Amino acid sequence: MSQLVVLKDVTKVYQAGITGALSGVSLTIENGEFTAIMGPSGSGKSTLLNLIAGVDRPTSGSVAVGGADLGTLGETALARFRRDHIGFVFQFFYLLPNLTALENVLIPAQLKGKVVAGRAEALLDELGIADVSDRYPARLSGGQQQRVAMARALINRPTLLLADEPTGALDTHSGDQVLELLRELNRDGQTILLVTHDAKIATRYAARIISVVDGKIVDDARLESPDRAASEVIRVRVAEMSS
Amino acid sequence: MSAVIVKAMSDLRRRRLQVVVIFVTTLLAVATGTMALTLLSQTNDPFQIAFAAQRGAHLRVTFDGRTDPGTLAGTPSLVGAAAIGGPYRATPIQFQYGGHKYAAAAVGRDEPGGEVGQLVLVAGRWPVGDDEIAVTRSFADLSHVSVGETLKVVSVADAPVLTVAGEVIDIDQVRADISAQRAWVRTSAIDRLTATGGGYYLMNYRFASDPTSAQLSTAVETLRAALPPGSITGSINYLLVRSIFNVVNQVLIGILVAFSIFALVATVAIVANLVTGIVISAYREIGIMKAIGFTPLQVALVFVLQILVPAAAACLFGIPGGTILSQPLLASSSDALGLPYHATFSVLLDLVALGGALLIVTLAALLPALRAGRLKPAVVIANAAAPRGRSGRWIRRLASGLGLPRPLVLGVGDAVARPLRATLTAVAVFLGVATIVIALGETRHFADIYPYEAHVGPVDVVVSKSAVLTDPEAMRLFEAQPETERVVAETITNIVVPGIADPIPSVMYRGDSAALGYLVTTGRWFNGPGEVVAPKGLLRDAHLQVGDTFIASFRGTTVPLRLVGVVYDFAGGPGGHELMLDSSTVVPALADLSPSTYFVTLKAGSNVVLYVDRVAAAQPDQLEVQANTSGPTQLGMVSAVLLAIAAVIALMAVGGVFNTLLLNAREGARDIATLKALGMSPRQLIAMVATSAAFLALVGGVLAVPAGVQLDHVLLDLVSAFGGNDTPPSFYAALASWELIAILLAGVAVAMLAALIPGRWAARTNVVEVLRAE
Repeated sequence: MSQLVVLKDVTKVYQAGITGALSGVSLTIENGEFTAIMGPSGSGKSTLLNLIAGVDRPTSGSVAVGGADLGTLGETALARFRRDHIGFVFQFFYLLPNLTALENVLIPAQLKGKVVAGRAEALLDELGIADVSDRYPARLSGGQQQRVAMARALINRPTLLLADEPTGALDTHSGDQVLELLRELNRDGQTILLVTHDAKIATRYAARIISVVDGKIVDDARLESPDRAASEVIRVRVAEMSS
Repeated sequence: MSAVIVKAMSDLRRRRLQVVVIFVTTLLAVATGTMALTLLSQTNDPFQIAFAAQRGAHLRVTFDGRTDPGTLAGTPSLVGAAAIGGPYRATPIQFQYGGHKYAAAAVGRDEPGGEVGQLVLVAGRWPVGDDEIAVTRSFADLSHVSVGETLKVVSVADAPVLTVAGEVIDIDQVRADISAQRAWVRTSAIDRLTATGGGYYLMNYRFASDPTSAQLSTAVETLRAALPPGSITGSINYLLVRSIFNVVNQVLIGILVAFSIFALVATVAIVANLVTGIVISAYREIGIMKAIGFTPLQVALVFVLQILVPAAAACLFGIPGGTILSQPLLASSSDALGLPYHATFSVLLDLVALGGALLIVTLAALLPALRAGRLKPAVVIANAAAPRGRSGRWIRRLASGLGLPRPLVLGVGDAVARPLRATLTAVAVFLGVATIVIALGETRHFADIYPYEAHVGPVDVVVSKSAVLTDPEAMRLFEAQPETERVVAETITNIVVPGIADPIPSVMYRGDSAALGYLVTTGRWFNGPGEVVAPKGLLRDAHLQVGDTFIASFRGTTVPLRLVGVVYDFAGGPGGHELMLDSSTVVPALADLSPSTYFVTLKAGSNVVLYVDRVAAAQPDQLEVQANTSGPTQLGMVSAVLLAIAAVIALMAVGGVFNTLLLNAREGARDIATLKALGMSPRQLIAMVATSAAFLALVGGVLAVPAGVQLDHVLLDLVSAFGGNDTPPSFYAALASWELIAILLAGVAVAMLAALIPGRWAARTNVVEVLRAE
């Protein structure tokens, strides 16, 4: 597999009082991987995701995605990069309240000047929300909103799908549905980077788990089977590190 | 209470930009309002105040020089006058000063006081010798004559030289730029200044109370009946003088009041918008404040205080500023009245302006502030942020259907997401654009009116002739100049019209007078002998209509005259009486009359300066030759004020748009961050914000342009009515369609420029910080 994301010695320092800094992080993510970044609140996992998405810049070090060094790109080029290569799924969905579900899905394509109504409808259909395509976000359940957000993230066929705590604002059932969708997408070849603080989710759905604590990667484990219990994986890894 | 103040002050420190917007908006509105109030208070019928102070003449009558002055001294009892001035001996004179010649009426008067028509000395002293003269300050200002300078009288053969001893203010005559002035000499000096047969008597009558027009007409008729025929050669009453005085002031005040209201409404719209925005942005804070014990009233007070503090600061600067700015206008108004100017400052007036401004601002802030006070703490804390505006979906779909790029569609949607905000902003834009349309329209009207007022439209040179030079001599001189293309000669005389007590000053033309530039509002210009045109005031008072024939008399000779047209006349005021006719109508009866002025049009490409110099050099003492140029007028001053206030209100509208975009950008920070995360480029974000601005400006502007045009028409009608005229239809179309479209597009362009700063802020939104804050 080819390398899709390459971080080299990335450090991110925030102003005093803001948590989530990174310290000398190096990381490579292969095409087609389903990677989970785990860590406690304020550990720097979302910062890592933001740097890879190009919505934030490192204080030092380099971030390359799909061969593009994000540090060399200006704001406009970064916007184009996100538009072309990144699909973003947020914890709180962040659908535009004044647009219908279908219009929300279409936004990234329209920013590129593309007309892809057919693909948007197909995506909504695949995600099981075709019947609510003309509804506004306020009239959708949390699960439906997150699936709309996923369709929006996928509309431009991104090379990398970033999901930041995508189930954090959902009930268990809706959360499971969303994660199943992510797994199906990954099976179809979609590279996914999932940020979560929930070990069960990480071990159940991701093939690789990167643990971040206090801005440093403390663990990077590729799981043999995604069906193994979270406690088992962690135990295995800790044992490996001890040895 | 201290908690309220502490909270309000801390919020003020946090919201510096909003503080600046409130400060600037209120400053502009308060300055404009104070200016209007000051002018209103000081110019409310100033004529009447000065007229009473100077015991002005209700009626001034000129009598033939052959009338017995003893008889005249007995006339007050005939008309029931309470006091009189005169009879004064008087004579028309022409004098030369600074290379120019001026016509005036020299009045023999030995002291400036008296029971009627007191003259106020504002410079120098009253003449004490026969070689001294006192002139009006209005004339001194117009001709730049100063005390101590000399005037050479050229209307009599020995050309005596008079020294200007003093400048006076005479409430009984209008400004020098409208009418020839009176000047005063010792009674003993009159004989020397009087050409053969040129003298007359002047009497000033003052009544116990202000008489009506009808009473004044009756008085003149009584005098006419009691004296030998032909004794009365002219009369003028205070009503006409007052109306002429008040024309410009009425125009100025009317428009100032209208514009001040516009400015205040714009302020209310912007302040209400701002407070609503603050309430929305402080949604979570409101919940916290209430949770820790702020009462609804205290919450409301926190928001009202945040508006009141910068508004009060703006008043501290705006009220003195408005007072200072109104001083040049007051000075000009005083000049117009020939009154002394004193810097005007009224504590009471300023307190009224302060109280009014703060009351309006408080009221504008109170509704959204009270709304904040009523919010339920649990709900607002739970929701963290106010619900985003969700209106305007239909308009976004419409824009989408038009195939506009998505950023533009989103911009249109954002513009109307909050209908109240959009409406208030559109109101501010509406007022700004409408004011600009009105100001430009009125300015254009005034520019149109001026040449008609000067009655010398397409004329290159104006020549005044002294009585010493004959008409044939003057004409020979003009005809000898190769550049001369057309000469129209003007002769002034009085004509008596049935139904009008006073002889009417009448202008008789020889030559192609139709080319002089009188504006005929009804009927047509006269075509030959026997036809006359007149301003509307005369038609009204003489009960005449276009097409009527009446019998007029010139020095006892009667002639039938047919009224064929109505001319637009502004400076004469609503009571202006004048007749214009071909000189051939009266020449057989008044063969001794000689033209006093010639309007010369030169052949295309001629050098006017050379022509003026050559003709003047040919008769340096007998001809006053001037190139026809339009100098600054009172209407020019009004135009300048109009444009300045319109610019202020337009600036406020821009501030309103800026404020709305700022609020939208702040409230929509999460959406903007999301869009950035999804790949919207900085340029697309700026385009989105600019589209919001353009849309609001377009909506406000599209409504404002036709409304402004209509309001402009109403104001023009008022201006015309002040001068006693109907507005000529051709005047209405002051601004061409392309100009109106250009104003609209300029408004949109300015709004888009105002969007640049919020747009750049939106483009620079830090996605991480914004989404983290959520």
